[in-house]
Amino acid sequence: MSRERPLWRPTTGPNVDDELAEHIELLTRRYIEEGLDPDTARQRARARFGELEPIRRECQDIASQMEIDVKKTERLHELRQDIAYALRTLRRSPVFAAIAVLTLAIGIGANTAIFSVVRSVLLRPLPYPHPEQLLQLWTDHRQLGRAEPEWFSPPGLEDWKSMNSTLAGVAAYQGGSAVITDDGEPETLSGFLVSGDFFDVIGVRPERGRTFTMADDDPGAEPVAIISDALWKRRFGSDSSILGRRILLNGTPWTVVGVLPSTFRAPLPAQGELYRPLRRSEASRACRGCITVRAIGRMKPGVTLAQAQADLASVAARLAQQYPESNAKVGAWIIPLHDQISGTTRAPLYAMAGAVALVLLIACVNIANLLLARGASRARELAVRAALGAGDARILRQLITENAVLAALGGMVGLGLSVYGSRLLGLLVPENIRQVQPVRVDAVVLGFSIVITAVCACVFGLLPALKSVRGASSTWLRIGTHAISSLRGRLRGGLVVAQVSLAVVLLVGAGLFLRSFLAMQSLDFGYRTDGVLYGNVVFPPARYQGPELAMDAVNRTLAQLRANPAISAAEVTDIPPLLNAGDQDVTAIPVGEAMTGGEPPSIWFRSVSPGYLSLMRMHLVKGREFTAADRKGSHLVGIVNAEAAAAFWHGGDPVGREMALGRTPDAPRVTIVGVVASARHAGPKQPYRAEVFLPIEQIPARAVTFIVEPRGEERDAASALRAAIQATDPLIPSPAATSIESLVGDAVALPRLYATLVGIFAVAALLLAVLGVYGVIAFSVMQRQREIGVRLALGATPSSIVAMVLREGGRMALIGLVAGFAISLAASRTISALLFGIKPFDVPAFVSAAVVLGLMSLLASLVPALRAMRVDPIGVIRAD
Amino acid sequence: MPTPTSAFLQGTLDLIVLKTLQWGPRHGYAIARWIENTTDDALQVEEGSLYPALYRMQQRGWISAEWGTSDEGRRIKVYALTTRGRAQLRAQTAQWGTCVAAMTKVLHGTP
Repeated sequence: MSRERPLWRPTTGPNVDDELAEHIELLTRRYIEEGLDPDTARQRARARFGELEPIRRECQDIASQMEIDVKKTERLHELRQDIAYALRTLRRSPVFAAIAVLTLAIGIGANTAIFSVVRSVLLRPLPYPHPEQLLQLWTDHRQLGRAEPEWFSPPGLEDWKSMNSTLAGVAAYQGGSAVITDDGEPETLSGFLVSGDFFDVIGVRPERGRTFTMADDDPGAEPVAIISDALWKRRFGSDSSILGRRILLNGTPWTVVGVLPSTFRAPLPAQGELYRPLRRSEASRACRGCITVRAIGRMKPGVTLAQAQADLASVAARLAQQYPESNAKVGAWIIPLHDQISGTTRAPLYAMAGAVALVLLIACVNIANLLLARGASRARELAVRAALGAGDARILRQLITENAVLAALGGMVGLGLSVYGSRLLGLLVPENIRQVQPVRVDAVVLGFSIVITAVCACVFGLLPALKSVRGASSTWLRIGTHAISSLRGRLRGGLVVAQVSLAVVLLVGAGLFLRSFLAMQSLDFGYRTDGVLYGNVVFPPARYQGPELAMDAVNRTLAQLRANPAISAAEVTDIPPLLNAGDQDVTAIPVGEAMTGGEPPSIWFRSVSPGYLSLMRMHLVKGREFTAADRKGSHLVGIVNAEAAAAFWHGGDPVGREMALGRTPDAPRVTIVGVVASARHAGPKQPYRAEVFLPIEQIPARAVTFIVEPRGEERDAASALRAAIQATDPLIPSPAATSIESLVGDAVALPRLYATLVGIFAVAALLLAVLGVYGVIAFSVMQRQREIGVRLALGATPSSIVAMVLREGGRMALIGLVAGFAISLAASRTISALLFGIKPFDVPAFVSAAVVLGLMSLLASLVPALRAMRVDPIGVIRAD
Repeated sequence: MPTPTSAFLQGTLDLIVLKTLQWGPRHGYAIARWIENTTDDALQVEEGSLYPALYRMQQRGWISAEWGTSDEGRRIKVYALTTRGRAQLRAQTAQWGTCVAAMTKVLHGTP
C-alpha cells in the first residue's frame, strides 16, 4: 500500500484507542447476540480486557517507537538521495567540481600538515614520565655581560644538587664521543658522558641489561657503557650476548651493560649512540673553573617552575658568597625542557600556521563565490523543485548536503596531501628537534582535519545555500533573475575584495622573506665560502699521549696532503667556520691597557696552521701572518681580529703589544703580530666578536679539521684526504669530506625555506584572488550586456566601455590592496624575529606586492573588458 | 483471572497468533475468535495480553498492520504475516514439536 501523504497532517490518525474500542464493540455485539442485555454485555466485554489503561499505554509506547524508527529510515533514505544527487550534479559540472575540490584539498591539506608539525613539536609532551617536571638547568651570566645561558663546573653542579630543595634529581651530561675499533671499520660514535642517575632522572630504563648506578660514576669502577638500540642493531647485529661484551673505545676496553629501547629519544642536543658514566677524577671534581658540564633537573611533584627558579636562584646567591672568584654575580637560569628543545621553532611554525590559515580562508571564499555564481544559474532548477512541493527546509538540507559532500571530498584529498605536506613543513624544524619529537600524523591531527573540513563546509556553504533557498521559494520561476543577481553580485564583490586583501598580505610576507633570504645569501661572511673541503679528525689520547705526538701526526698528514697532486693547498685548524664544532674562550687582559671597570672581557681563540688565513682568504689588515718560525718554544704570538682590536686597544695599534690569556698571574702572554678583518665564524646570524688566532704549533689540539683546496675534481681531493689519514694512522676513522658550500647552504637553509614556502602560498593566494576578480568582472559584464549594448548604440566608444569595466576591477583591487596593506603592517611586526637584514616595513617588499597585484588584477579585468567591447548592441537589445 | 490454561498460553501466544495469521490476514477480534473456535473454547485468549503481543510482533517485523474497512464498513486494523513471520512460524513450530516429544517421553517413560 502506498504511504498516504496528506496535504495537511491531522494531529492523530486511527490509533490504539480506536482499535481496542472496536474489539470491545464486537465483543459486546456477540454477547448481545448470545442473549445478554446491552449494558451487561458491554460490562462483560470490557471486563475481559482487565485494566485498560496499562494495555493502552504499552501498545502506544510500542507504536510511537515504531514511528520514530520509520522516520529515521526515511531521513537516512533522504540523506542517501541527497548525496547521490550531489555527486550527480558535481559530475555534471566537472570543471567546477575539480576546481572546488582541489582548492579545498590544498587549503585543508596545508592546514592539516602544519598542524601535525605544530602538534608533534610544540603541543605534544615529551616522551618521558611526568615530562612537565623536567627542566634544563643553566647558570646565568647576564650580569657579567654574557647574553647566553652558560654551563656548570662539576663542583658547582654538585653544590646545586646538594643545596636545592625543589629538585628530585639532577642528571648531568657532557659530550663524550669515542672511536670504536674492534671488529670492523674504526668508527666515531657520537655519545655522552652522563651521571650515574641520568637515566633515573629522565625516567627511562634500558630495554636490556641494567641502568647506571652512582657506583659506576666512580673513576675506579669498571668502565661500563650503555648503547643505543640503533648501534646494537647496526654494529653488533642484534647480538643477544651483547651484555657483558667488551668493546674498545679510544683504545681502552669498556663493558656493555645495557641497550636502550628503540623508542628512546634523548633530551639532548643530539641523539647519542653511546652513553658512559662521567667517572670524574678528584681534580676534575674540584675544578671550579672548568665549565664543562650541562644538566637536566626534575622537579619534585607539586613544585612549580617559579618555586624552582626562586630556590635555585637562592642557591646561586649562596654560592656567589662562598666562592666569589668563580661564582660572583652568577645566577640561576632554568628553562622547561620542552621549551629548551623546541622553543626556537615556535615563532616560525606559528607564522607558517598563520599563512596557511590565510590560504584556507581565501580558498573558502573562492568556493563561496563559485557557489554563489552556480546558485544564480541553478535558480530555475530550485524554483521548480519548490513548486513541486519541496519545502524550504528540504531544499536547504539538500544544498547543505551538496556542500558537505564537496567539503568531504576536498577533505579526503587534503588529508592525503597533508601526509606529504607535513614531511615538507617538518623541514622548518631543525633535525635534532625532529629526532626527539618526530612529526607524525596521528589521531588528533586526523580529528583536526575533520573539524576544519566541517568548519569550511559551514563557512563557504551556508551563505550561498541560504541565498539560493530564499531565491527559490520567493522567485516564482522568474526569467532573468535580475533582482537576486544584483544583491548576489555585491556580495561576491565584497568577498573578492577580502580575497585580494588576504593575497596582498601573503605577497608582502613572501616579499619580506625573499628579501631576507637574499640578504643572507649575499652576506660577506668574512672568509671563503666555496672551493674547500673539511675533514674532521680526532687523535685519541690513548695512542697520542701528549699534544706533541698529536701535532706530529697532524704535520705528517699535512705533508702527505700537500704532496698529493689532487690537492693544491692544505691547512689545519681546531675550530673551522660553520661547523658548529664548539667554542673556546678565555679571559683576556691586554698588558698595559687601562681596562674600564667591570669584568675583563673574554676573547674567543682558535689554533691554525700558518697558511690558514690566506687559504681561507681572510683579509689581513695590519702586521703579518704566522710563519714556520712561530713554533713550539719560540715566543707566543697571536693575530687578533678587528673587533678585538677595537674592544681591547680602543682603536690603537695592537701590533707589538702583549695580551695575557687568563686571569692568573702565570697566564700565558701572547704578542700580537697582526690584525685580520672580523668574520662570522658561526654563520650569518652571529654578531662579530673579539677573536684571536694562535699558531697550532704553539697551542696544539688533538681534535682538528683539515681544510683542503682541490686542484681538480672534488672527489679526488676527498679520497686523497682519506688516504692521507689512513696512511698516518689506520685506526682513525676515515673522515667524511664536507664541502664548505654545503655548510653555507645549511646556514641559510631556514630563510630559503621560509621564502620558498611563503612564496608558494603567495602564488596560490594570488591566483585564487585573481580568479576571483576575473569571475566577478566577467559575471558583471554578462549581467550588464543590455546596458552596454544601449551605451554602444547611443554612441559610446568601445574604449570607453573597456575603461568602464577596468575601472570596476580596479576599484575592487584598490580597496583590497589598501586593506591588505593595513593588515600587513600590523602583522609584519610579529614575524620580525624571522627576518634577516631588513625591517618589517620594508618598502621594496610592499611596493612589489602592490605592483604584482595591480598588474594581475588589470589582466584579470582586461579579458572580460575586451569581450564587453565586442558586444553587438542590436543583437542584445533585440533579444530581451 | 488467569486460569491454568491461560498461564500456559502466555508463553506460546506468539506462535498461536502466527499460526492463526497463516490462514489469512485478520484483525485482533477475529484472531481471538478463531483461536476459541479452533480449540473448541479450550483456549480463551486474554485480550489484555493479545494486543501488546500483536504490537510487539509488529515491531519485530513478524507481522504487518494496515487500517482498512470491514465488510460492515467499520474501521479495523488488520494484521498479516510477513516473510520473516513465516520463517519464525516454521522455526517455532519445529521447536514446539521437539518440546512435546521430550515431554511425552518423560511423562510416559518407565524408570
